[in-house]
Amino acid sequence: MAGQFKYGVSLYSFTDDFGSVMNIEDGFDHVADTGATGIEILGETHVAGYPKPTTQWVDNWFGLLEKHKLEPTNMCSWVDTRLRLSRSLTVEEGAAELERDLNLAHLLGFKFLRPKFGVVTHDLVPDPIWEPAVERVLDLAHKYDIVICPEIHSPTPIKHPVTDAYIDFIERTGTRHFGLLIDTGIFQDRPLPFWPQETPEIRATDLAFLDGIKVNPEEFLDIAKYVVFIQAKFHKINDKLEDENIPWPKVISALKRAGYAGYLSSEYEGRRDPWVAIDQVRRQHVILRQLEKDFDEGRLA
Amino acid sequence: MVEHKFIQSSGFRNVGPEGAREGFEVRIRLPNYRGMRMSLFDGVDVTVDGETFSYEQNAIRLRDQVFDLAALREAADVRWEPFEWASVVVPKRGGLTPGIHHVAVCARVRSPYFPPKFQPSFVRDERLATIVLP
Repeated sequence: MAGQFKYGVSLYSFTDDFGSVMNIEDGFDHVADTGATGIEILGETHVAGYPKPTTQWVDNWFGLLEKHKLEPTNMCSWVDTRLRLSRSLTVEEGAAELERDLNLAHLLGFKFLRPKFGVVTHDLVPDPIWEPAVERVLDLAHKYDIVICPEIHSPTPIKHPVTDAYIDFIERTGTRHFGLLIDTGIFQDRPLPFWPQETPEIRATDLAFLDGIKVNPEEFLDIAKYVVFIQAKFHKINDKLEDENIPWPKVISALKRAGYAGYLSSEYEGRRDPWVAIDQVRRQHVILRQLEKDFDEGRLA
Repeated sequence: MVEHKFIQSSGFRNVGPEGAREGFEVRIRLPNYRGMRMSLFDGVDVTVDGETFSYEQNAIRLRDQVFDLAALREAADVRWEPFEWASVVVPKRGGLTPGIHHVAVCARVRSPYFPPKFQPSFVRDERLATIVLP
């Protein structure tokens, strides 16, 4: 029996609007009005005074959650291994970054923490300190019951040493407080518009992944047991309610057959003209809910 | 709050003693979707009316501190938050004349989770902006 999705929105969707034409109260309103039950944030962006918000800010945070009937889902964090040009972080410093963010996530009620590690290659192999740093904070994650979940994110496909290394870590430690976060951008199968100053030559080489790395959604079933959270990445839904880049029917079908019953947390990453994101997220929620209903009622293979 | 676009309308002004201006400032919003420790920020090139001032010579003013490039690169304990602007301080004897100028900036941002060949990445913007006071 397929699980039922939970629907959320990441405030990342409102990048550029946030801080200029939108504050956190507005953000909560826009998230709640999609019918979502969960809100995702970026610690460094959305928490005033990060990493140590005032008690007034924290009170306001919980007041907004209650007012809008939302639960905190995932908090995004970073382990900036190349924090300085002069040297990389040590394992101790990396663990301290994770501990800082686990403490904040716990304070604010989050159940998931997504660290983004600095990388050392073009296909996003993380700095090797990731493993010992995470291992040092697993007890803290267990105490807080927070699952640490790095992303599988374009240009890294599912079948890749990065994914294997995370799975090996889970199997080796036996932890239930480390899992995979899937960013649906990996399933993108149609090109994004060119960035400013991008040429066809650049798109064919350095930025080829912007055409979509076209991971087959069926591959989700191979790793589903390790996946704890999904960011529903998208870029543009047109006026005919068609997503121009992500093949949602195939994605939703695979997720349902895998029995995924966690969050789909919208991450809009398209044009950043003021206020465009708000309605784009609403459109995405229509598509996702319709597809789930289609699957449950036997109309989606 | 800051203006939605990258280069802000206010904050574009001359600096230094009146009558003996040493340069000018351009105010910008955070060139990032996340709050940033200043050591990840690698300076800003500024071009005004076709004349380019390199990131290596410009300073950054955030709240009550001014950072040259070397100081910026080690400022791992200073955070720039999304609701705040910062100013690029550009040395130019005499400053700029009052009136409308074409301003272009290129901010250099290090995102350690980007592949090495995209270090740094660039945030660019251009617009017409106005110097009010000489």
